[in-house]
Amino acid sequence: MSTEAIAVERPKRNYNALFGLTLLALLVLLWVILSVATPSFASANNISNLLRQGSMIAILAVGQTFVIITGGIDLSVGAVVGFATVIVAMLINAGTPVFLAILITLLVGVAIGMFHGFGIVKMGLPPFIITLATLTSLRGIGLLMTNGNSISINNDAFQTFSRSSFVGVPNLFWMVILVGIPAYIFLHHSRWGRYLFSVGSNAEASRLSGVNVQRTIYMAYTLSGLCAAFVGVLLASRIGIGNPTQAEGWELQAIASSVIGGTSLFGAVGSVHGPLLGAFILATINNGANLLNVNAFWQRIITGVLIIVIVYFDGLRRRGK
Amino acid sequence: MMSTAQELHPAPTLEPGRTILELQGLEKRYPGTHALKPVDLAFKAGEIHAIVGENGAGKSTLIKLLTGVMPRTSGDVIWEGKPAALATPHEAMALGINAVHQEVVLCRHLTVAANMFLGEEDARFGILQQRAMVRQAQKIIDDLGFDLPAHVMLGDLTIGQQQLIAAARATVRGTKFLIFDEPTAYLTRKEADQLFTLIRRLKGEGVTIIYISHRMEEVFELADRVSVLRDGTLVGTRNIAETNDAELVKMMINRSIEQVYHKEHFTPGAMLVETRNLSGKGFENVSMSVRAGEIVGLYGLIGAGRSEFVTTLYGRHRKSAGQILWEGKEVKVNSEHDAIRLGMALAPESRRDQGLCLNLPVGLNLNLPIYKRISNNLLISRAQEKAQADRQIADLRIKTPTRGALASSLSGGNQQKIVIGKWLAHGAKLFIFDEPTVGVDVGTKAEIYRLFGALLSKGAGIILISSYLPEVYELADTLHVFRRGKLVATHGFRTADHEEILTQALAEKQEKPGGRI
Repeated sequence: MSTEAIAVERPKRNYNALFGLTLLALLVLLWVILSVATPSFASANNISNLLRQGSMIAILAVGQTFVIITGGIDLSVGAVVGFATVIVAMLINAGTPVFLAILITLLVGVAIGMFHGFGIVKMGLPPFIITLATLTSLRGIGLLMTNGNSISINNDAFQTFSRSSFVGVPNLFWMVILVGIPAYIFLHHSRWGRYLFSVGSNAEASRLSGVNVQRTIYMAYTLSGLCAAFVGVLLASRIGIGNPTQAEGWELQAIASSVIGGTSLFGAVGSVHGPLLGAFILATINNGANLLNVNAFWQRIITGVLIIVIVYFDGLRRRGK
Repeated sequence: MMSTAQELHPAPTLEPGRTILELQGLEKRYPGTHALKPVDLAFKAGEIHAIVGENGAGKSTLIKLLTGVMPRTSGDVIWEGKPAALATPHEAMALGINAVHQEVVLCRHLTVAANMFLGEEDARFGILQQRAMVRQAQKIIDDLGFDLPAHVMLGDLTIGQQQLIAAARATVRGTKFLIFDEPTAYLTRKEADQLFTLIRRLKGEGVTIIYISHRMEEVFELADRVSVLRDGTLVGTRNIAETNDAELVKMMINRSIEQVYHKEHFTPGAMLVETRNLSGKGFENVSMSVRAGEIVGLYGLIGAGRSEFVTTLYGRHRKSAGQILWEGKEVKVNSEHDAIRLGMALAPESRRDQGLCLNLPVGLNLNLPIYKRISNNLLISRAQEKAQADRQIADLRIKTPTRGALASSLSGGNQQKIVIGKWLAHGAKLFIFDEPTVGVDVGTKAEIYRLFGALLSKGAGIILISSYLPEVYELADTLHVFRRGKLVATHGFRTADHEEILTQALAEKQEKPGGRI
């Protein structure tokens, strides 16, 4: 009986790494196919463009993954991105030093995340509801603040940042690495990361084992809010405006990236590299479809099918059958 | 096949006194436990047959087999002279076998009437005849003498009233054989009386009733015959007129004490924890203490308030009154965190719901309470994480391929070792074990008991909750008996006999005054 168990268990040990490699292989395969199929895909210009497209969703997906691991969901991230573009634009135009403007915007993201934690822990609201409420109200607050107009940012240095590169790699992609490495260490090498998993797996058992469940939930949503506000800053820099209706639907793209990356919506399963790969797989599909002149409507359908296929096979293998 | 909603009462086909259902060598094995050893028993049509036994005696298993919830391992069930497979709940219901469970298994958000006709609604051209159903349901309820409205949401009724509805529901289903599983656990006396009226009335209509209960006085009030189960074996069946309390209790507990109980005696040391008149949800006015080197056993039936008492002591629930003293000083335990900091550890009752993160690795589960200690500032020491997990796996002989295997892939006994093992590295002074050996095989039980000895020798104290009397009887230095949220009696190590303790845990009316120290 025990030998049988060993035979079943061994592969599961490296499951995360294995799944990550499969995703990476899928991404590389897509790149190879697109390089052959279209002349322009492999150009430096297009690759930079693709990395820029994928970067912002990738960062959102990392924050989203923390929340999903605890068994929750953060629907507000797209609205937070739009709201953050407004905050940072207004602050910069008001003459606030760029560094300070960014810091304040990030703190606003933290505050929104804390509010989600409060709603879930103290008011007992389901994560779906509280973040859905924030999604719609943040868009409204942003529209009130801007009167429905876009705010042009009067600062060239702020805007050139996201358009330039460092050692040939777009700055936006460097930001993914800047977020990804600490996120990886946090999730896989710190005790708080372990607590995210344990709370997502069994909150009561974690609590009885001395884990501060409430603080863990606050932390997950705060980090998600922080990631979203950071993406808002990057987006404002990229498009040069603050506009509360920006990033419409990005929360769904972030969730999709996370799920494609192997995160389980039931909680307690997830990684940092998975959602990053997921985000770039989605970006590649969109980019490739554009180059192949596939109707933009089809792109959405393809994304939907891809989510079903990947998650279905992931579920099959997870059950080990 | 199924009765229609119009048909008010069942029409049993057999004349009273004939055998309606017969068990021939009925047996059930789970991995690691032999829940029901071959049972031969015949139920007569129209009788009320009580089944008594301690927790874990095999009563629930028997119900599950008869209602088709679980398949049997071997043996036959003869229904009205013909073998019945009873492979699915549907098949059992089609034959006319129904059960009213201890926990109400109906839909709280539907009306009483909708619940009564759930699954066999009255519809005309696909449209539900809601008003007709409410009228019929009301008629049935009135007919049974229950003073309850049929149009309200089931969830608006008390648990006891819901239980009555569940019983009424069974009467409209062409039931010939009705099993009540401890139906009065949540009922008031008045509700219980109404239920008894219903049961007698069903009997009068020829329905065979199986009545499972802990409460002796109910058995004597209702039953015609009574069967006793003990450790999965049918000990005997008696006519109710030819037996008495004392004989039944003796049959329930007269077992050979297995030689697994490993008891070491230590001289009690310093006072670890003391409660004074502690009250909270589910228990009141409990005063007790635990010293270093001592096992304090809490015995009682399920729902007697023992788990509520220890989880409150552990800070999971708020106390409503009383004091907790830790090492002689009064302390406030507002959270599990406070309790753990003081030096308490809890291995909770339910491994699945409270003890383990099942879809996470064994190693993570073992290290969960000590991650703070094996982290330096920000990062976890991977080396220590591995070493600590591997040490517990080796020390406790947890059978797992690696520390990375998921907790869910282990057997019950090994899962229980994880629940206990996570506190060993943490180091506590007071260990609270709530039903530590439920669903655990004999070998692991013995290992757990030896572990108790090791903990005591290091100066720890233990609170041991068990619903299995021999366990607390053979292990506890001080044994407290709980009944209905109160500490009703206290005994020293083996100073009382099993009969006396069981009577104290069960008794409703009379109480032996000699039990108290």
